[in-house]
Amino acid sequence: MRRSVLVTLLLTLCAGAAYAEHVTAPIPVGIAVAQTSNVALFGQEQIIGAKIAEKYFNKSGVNGTPIKLVSQDTGGDEAGAINAFQNLINQEKVVGIVGPTLSQQAFSADPIANRLKVPVVGPSNTAKGIPQIGEYIGRVSAPVAKVAPFALKQALKQNPKIKKVAVLYAQNDAFSASETVTFQETVKSMKLEIVTLQKFMTTDTDFTTQATAVLGANVDLAIVSGLAADGGNLVKQLRQLGYKGIIIGGNGFNTANLFPVCGKNCDGILVAQAYSPEANNPVNKAFVDEYRRTYKKDPSQFSAQAFAAVQVFGEGLRRVEAATKKKITQLELSVVRTELNKALRSGSFVTPLGEISLDNEGEINQKTFYVSQIKMDANGKSGKFVIVK
Amino acid sequence: MDAVQFLQNLLNGISIGSVYAIFALGYTLVFSILGIINFAHGAVFTLGAYLTYSLAVGQFGIGGILADLQIPFQLSFPLSLLIGAILSGVAGVVVERCAFRPLRFRGADPLLALVSSLGVALVTVNVIQYLVGSEIYSFPSDVYGDIRPAFVLHFGEKLVVIRTVQIIIFAVSIVVLALLGYLISWTRIGKALRAVAENASTASLLGINVDRFILYTFFLSGFLGGMAGSLVGTSFGIAGPYFGVAYGLKGLAVIVMGGLGSIPGAVLGGMVIGLAEAFVPADYSAYKEAVAFAFLFVVLLVRPQGLLGRSQIQKV
Amino acid sequence: MEEFLQNYGFLLVTLVQQSLLAMSLYFPLSAGQLSLASPGFYALGGYVAAIMATADYFAPWRDALGWAIFPLEWLIAGLVSALLAFLVGVPALRLRGIYLALATIAFVEILRVVCLNLAITGGAIGIFGIPQLFESRWGYIWIFGPLLVITLIFSYRLDRSRVGRAFKAIREDELAAGAMGINPTHYKVLSFVIGAVLAGIVGAMSAPFLNTWNARQGTFDASISYLAYVLIGGGRSLWGPMLGAVLLASLPELLRPLKDARLIINGMVLVIASIYLPFGIAGALQRLKLSTLKRYASLRGGR
Repeated sequence: MRRSVLVTLLLTLCAGAAYAEHVTAPIPVGIAVAQTSNVALFGQEQIIGAKIAEKYFNKSGVNGTPIKLVSQDTGGDEAGAINAFQNLINQEKVVGIVGPTLSQQAFSADPIANRLKVPVVGPSNTAKGIPQIGEYIGRVSAPVAKVAPFALKQALKQNPKIKKVAVLYAQNDAFSASETVTFQETVKSMKLEIVTLQKFMTTDTDFTTQATAVLGANVDLAIVSGLAADGGNLVKQLRQLGYKGIIIGGNGFNTANLFPVCGKNCDGILVAQAYSPEANNPVNKAFVDEYRRTYKKDPSQFSAQAFAAVQVFGEGLRRVEAATKKKITQLELSVVRTELNKALRSGSFVTPLGEISLDNEGEINQKTFYVSQIKMDANGKSGKFVIVK
Repeated sequence: MDAVQFLQNLLNGISIGSVYAIFALGYTLVFSILGIINFAHGAVFTLGAYLTYSLAVGQFGIGGILADLQIPFQLSFPLSLLIGAILSGVAGVVVERCAFRPLRFRGADPLLALVSSLGVALVTVNVIQYLVGSEIYSFPSDVYGDIRPAFVLHFGEKLVVIRTVQIIIFAVSIVVLALLGYLISWTRIGKALRAVAENASTASLLGINVDRFILYTFFLSGFLGGMAGSLVGTSFGIAGPYFGVAYGLKGLAVIVMGGLGSIPGAVLGGMVIGLAEAFVPADYSAYKEAVAFAFLFVVLLVRPQGLLGRSQIQKV
Repeated sequence: MEEFLQNYGFLLVTLVQQSLLAMSLYFPLSAGQLSLASPGFYALGGYVAAIMATADYFAPWRDALGWAIFPLEWLIAGLVSALLAFLVGVPALRLRGIYLALATIAFVEILRVVCLNLAITGGAIGIFGIPQLFESRWGYIWIFGPLLVITLIFSYRLDRSRVGRAFKAIREDELAAGAMGINPTHYKVLSFVIGAVLAGIVGAMSAPFLNTWNARQGTFDASISYLAYVLIGGGRSLWGPMLGAVLLASLPELLRPLKDARLIINGMVLVIASIYLPFGIAGALQRLKLSTLKRYASLRGGR
């Protein structure tokens, strides 16, 4: 008797304390990426990937209940990211957030979500220290350092006589700067000689200095860690000036945005990839088909990772229903957020990136990486990445 | 640095320097007449690059509302460059109408013209982004027809390389500079422009329609800005709607260097800064972007009126 | 109320922070000098605070001082800013005209490039995991708020002091002011340094507020925004910069539903306001007040 009184009391307390908010259907999942400013290029691709994921996932939904993507523009700055996050958390009552685009923005906005116990999955934050922000922060963007040796082995297979190597990297891009270290170590471990090491900035457009230095050093292999705009430009100028050797591009080259930049000169670049449109699994097939149908080209890694982030949330929600034996819409929002965060870290997901899982810290474990070679069409306007084995 | 390396840097420097020169001239022309810096100049530079690209290539990317649009005709590169620049000139006139004229007629604080021109720049850049997205647009290598992409000169073991684009940029800039020099020094319009620059109220007493000449100036300024944008765009690609901002700021350093309002000064300043950037050693290339601004400080300390400027200018 | 603060606390504190940055432009402007350096000093102050709060070298200081490390960060940020402002200001302010604006643009750009390349500033990624002074974003009102109040009082007193009158004399006519025995360079540099110190302190307070600090904090874009705050709010009135900051900084958030179009509208507001509100909103309000007073007076006086 006493016990039941206590329970009723507790229940009424809970109901009173609360605006015990329940999750509404369709289940809102937030996406906060840069749709304006100079990083919009990436944000727009992320939105595309996320929307395809929403559509794909909602074929069955969370056991029938669809999810709904709610997008908020972060712009390119930190304050914008915080505003977008708060908006999604407090007003849109999302169960989790995909975003933001830049690592710098993540360092600013993620602590806020973490404090409010809202799970975040970073679709493109590759900097060191992101998952360590807090227990609610994870990411699906892998640091692809592991793939560097494979790209080099491939280059040696194509030309076993390689001796002299030029290494170039964008020093103001955190990802490229760390990637190049792996490349350089691998080069040394393979007993090759780095004859010139050149730095540039992602904002540079004129690479005449670097290109001339590479040509002067008479190398057989050039390894470039940069992003599409600067890296592509560098390759273009390198080739125009008459460089004939093999070029390895880092993961920043892994986007179709590279093709219009270096055109015909992109042909033959070996690229270390965290994602390949050719990856052989049903989810990726569905994703690539849908993407090609609408945009007439292959999806980029940014789109694929955003797809994976949304998908991980969706499947996480299914796991929450399985674990609690309740519909998501019957649960309180705060409970769903906590349970969802746990679900994200348990078990693996088959995404366009292949099989992935998040460890307890929220860091991604990715099974497969790829080395592809760029094949440009005859007109030099479009091309594709062909996996080499 | 050996002689060959020196030659290489020299060639790189004069090519990019010549673009800085014509870009900075656009700033200087407006400054010499109104005593105001037109902060929308960088946006016109960007606009020019996109216009030339649209005319010459006619194919848009995946972002923005013009996504996947294909323009039914394509012009040859020289024609696109010219029309792109002319349209940029028209844009310059529009900038004057929107941001400068209303303020002038009200006799407003010149600082406000700065803000309104920044406003126009913001609108322009974001309209561009709205239309074409923020991806990179790169001119295809066959845009100049079927010519080789680069020339290699051998000096024994060493070599000096020049991209054809660099030669085109230099040649076009020199032609534009020569025509402009002729226009300003030898024609009636040029004389009238100089009179307005010297003293607008006296010029108007002499029967010169000052407002019309201000429009001419903005047309010329926009033309030069758009031309510079197109040239930089063909060489390095258009890195998104924001790519003019950095050039816009660098252009300011150029005109201070040459002397605010001085036309030969802008040319000299452009060359000096282009060369200085080319001679930055590869190890320090990350600091290249700061070179122009470091020069600006040196000039302020040592010779505030700039290399070719007259004694201090009283206008704001 | 709690929910409201949770939603809008960050935005409200941001408005106060932006008002302070606008004030940092107001000081040089009150002596007729256009400075675009505030983002530079803001970035600098933020780096000082971020480095002191995270670098191993300062660990013993942090242990010894506890929370008192925060005021120390503000102090040092202010001092460093003052020193640098002096070095930038003197060569540029010997001259009349737009040179300070150009020199400050150069300063901001150089600082940005340098910070991108140094190891101590964390390169492109910057510095993250900055220890917090308050749990919620709204809590930061307890440092930004008092700073704004102090700044306003300071500025009010300054306007009525000898220094303030000298500033105004230089703004109206530098040559005449010089002829009257005021040393223009001296006062112009002073006005610039005051603004720089304020921006530096705001930066130092903002580093924990934003959780992270990087080279993207001090950009030319920010310079433009601050300038727009002051001129649209009204550069000749104490309240103008604040008014402008609150209005313009909240605009992008209010226009959030418009997404892509919001920056276009933001630009249009700049153009329209500079044409139709030449003395800013504060100026327009003042004139409105004057004209109603006059009408009132003429009614009373009976013609």
